[in-house]
Amino acid sequence: MAIFDPTTLPTLVISLISIAVVLYAVISIKRGKEFTIREIPGLKAIDDAVGRATEMGTPVLFTPGWGGDIQRPTTIASMNILSSVAEKTAEYDCRLIYPTHDPVIMAVAQEVVKEGCLKAGYPDRYRADDIFYITSSQFGYAAAVDGIISRTKPASIFLLGTFEAESLIMAETGNAVGAIQIAGTDSTIQLAFFIVACDYTLIGEELFAASGYLSKNKSILSSVKAQDILKLLIALFITTALIWATIDPKSSWWKY
Amino acid sequence: MRVKIPLAICFLSGAIMFIQYFSRHPLAKAVYNGILDWWQIIFAFTLFVGVAAFIKSGLKSVSWSKARPSTGRKTDAPYKAISLVGLALMPILALAGGTKFGSPFLWVFDNMQAPMQSTVFSLLAFFVASASFRGFRARTIPATILLISALFVLLGRIPVADYFTESLAKATFWIQDYPSMAARRAILIGIGLGSMTTALRVILGIERTYLRGER
Amino acid sequence: MTNLKTRWIIFASLLALAVISYSITIKLKIRPSPQVQKTYDYIENLPESSAIVVSFDHEASSLPEIKPITQVILRHAFRNNIRIIGMSLFAEGTAIGYSMLTRTAGEFGKSYGQDYAFLGFKPQHISAILGMGESMRGVFPEDYLGTPIDSIPLMRHIDNYDSIAMVISIADGDRAVQWIEYAGARYNQKILAGLTAAMITTYDPYLNSGQLFSVVGGLKGAAEYEMLYGQPGSGSRGLLAQSMAHIFIIALIIIGNVIYFKGRAGKKGRG
Repeated sequence: MAIFDPTTLPTLVISLISIAVVLYAVISIKRGKEFTIREIPGLKAIDDAVGRATEMGTPVLFTPGWGGDIQRPTTIASMNILSSVAEKTAEYDCRLIYPTHDPVIMAVAQEVVKEGCLKAGYPDRYRADDIFYITSSQFGYAAAVDGIISRTKPASIFLLGTFEAESLIMAETGNAVGAIQIAGTDSTIQLAFFIVACDYTLIGEELFAASGYLSKNKSILSSVKAQDILKLLIALFITTALIWATIDPKSSWWKY
Repeated sequence: MRVKIPLAICFLSGAIMFIQYFSRHPLAKAVYNGILDWWQIIFAFTLFVGVAAFIKSGLKSVSWSKARPSTGRKTDAPYKAISLVGLALMPILALAGGTKFGSPFLWVFDNMQAPMQSTVFSLLAFFVASASFRGFRARTIPATILLISALFVLLGRIPVADYFTESLAKATFWIQDYPSMAARRAILIGIGLGSMTTALRVILGIERTYLRGER
Repeated sequence: MTNLKTRWIIFASLLALAVISYSITIKLKIRPSPQVQKTYDYIENLPESSAIVVSFDHEASSLPEIKPITQVILRHAFRNNIRIIGMSLFAEGTAIGYSMLTRTAGEFGKSYGQDYAFLGFKPQHISAILGMGESMRGVFPEDYLGTPIDSIPLMRHIDNYDSIAMVISIADGDRAVQWIEYAGARYNQKILAGLTAAMITTYDPYLNSGQLFSVVGGLKGAAEYEMLYGQPGSGSRGLLAQSMAHIFIIALIIIGNVIYFKGRAGKKGRG
């Protein structure tokens, strides 16, 4: 019985190249090479958003959307931003409300926020009741978040994670109460809604770069650099295949 | 140890799932099927966590103790009460009358839950209208191009377009299939790479947010 | 005009338009799109007694838009004596799927266990999709009604994806993407999606690359399929309201821009 499945060879080659690029970036940064990330307006505005909520005496609302669970990279990326927001809200003694549709995300978020309060030096400002599970039903969750927004009128709303059809419902409700909204998602459809309805939108991998941007952690910055290198390689491959397919339309080496 | 053991489990699980994908060996398949089964079992237990957390927070909201004004808990109380009634009612109906065709459970689902959810979904149409009115302004040249494309697509996606000209539907499909798809693919590639590197960071233990908020 | 007042005028006008559209009957000219034609032709040409999986991967909220698509596809399959294995990767889709499958089967005098079966809901959709590629009875040892799989005549010769002609995912989100990425990529299973209109563009890259066989999307897709099937239904009925809503939004965009340019001209005049 063969150990290796030959039909998966192209996937293996691409995976190994990707891992090699990531490791190269990690080693480069350990050897002292400097990587910087350009300014991301949505992330730069986090301070202002939390400050605004503190001045107005209203809470900050942060929700990860209905579409994903904790294993999804988008949810992990949103947790990184939550960590930063939790530190700032603890520092300014501003209430942070975190409704979610998944009990595991709720449990992780509680730990993240508790850790954030601890890092800020105010562990007593952690309120477990403000991080809660609503329902796993999409529009039950959307209706509940809308209700919370309408009643508590948060000054700042963070919509970061995997969203589906509920995105515009929440974003428009936030807009109606006059909140500053920072959004980011991996869904291209919902991105369009967020761009129209929100003040700042993290597009594409800006959401995943947040971890490195906010923490300035070298290991994480290196993986962001690795993404850029891989994108360059993909662009090179597409250009080569494009030219080759134009010259020789019957060619198929670039397909698999 | 508190951090090292979960990191080791994460690394081993990630490595095993990665390696088994490339193998046809019966051992790889057995490991893979075993992990899938355990995945289902673990998920089932998380549902209990969710229900317990919901009941706890609901009961706190509707309790007779004096609510702290800053939490706004009192204003949530009626909604939480209704939610708790619903949470209790549905399993009772399912256990008492079953879930087959014509049962009370299915009746409540078809005549209460489904219409309520559809109602919230239908809000999207109203919000799309108000967002379109607010958002589609020809402030710059790219915004104007976007606006014209939107008008083409809105008209081309309805049968009314056929009464004007067949070219409208063709233009709509062209916009969807070429410029729109190109932009979407570029964003998807970026998102795919971001997801991959985030997953790799989690497996290698560089990313530890899921552990205790540590980065 | 204040923001709030404007919002209420827009909402009230849209509501009035939708109500009026549903109250009148106008037959619209419908031409089937290539995707809907492809779907219809494939199901029409499937040999009798072929088995397909229909996965109800949606919630109750999208029922008004999804139900017309589901109903016409189920009717077409039953009319052609194709055997249907229903299931759901969404808790809510279970009750909806079971209800719709049973009702539609009743219209054609089909019997449970012989012509159709409903396997129920499986949480952790990725592991369920992957598991079905190895063994369906491993993922669903019993059906929705608690009957062991092996005692259902329809399921006796169904082992995994090799035993079925296609998977139809009726989705209002990205669940069909997981079918494509796991069942399609790993097991080469043919996948067809029935979707809400808002989700169609999400699946365009998969359609173009051939990873997704075809799509029936929104009320328009349902109306086109109903036209091919030869029996108008709720898809055709809802199309007028949808068309009116689109025209209303176009009008709003034009009015919004007129107000914007007038305001800009006024500022320039004063400046």
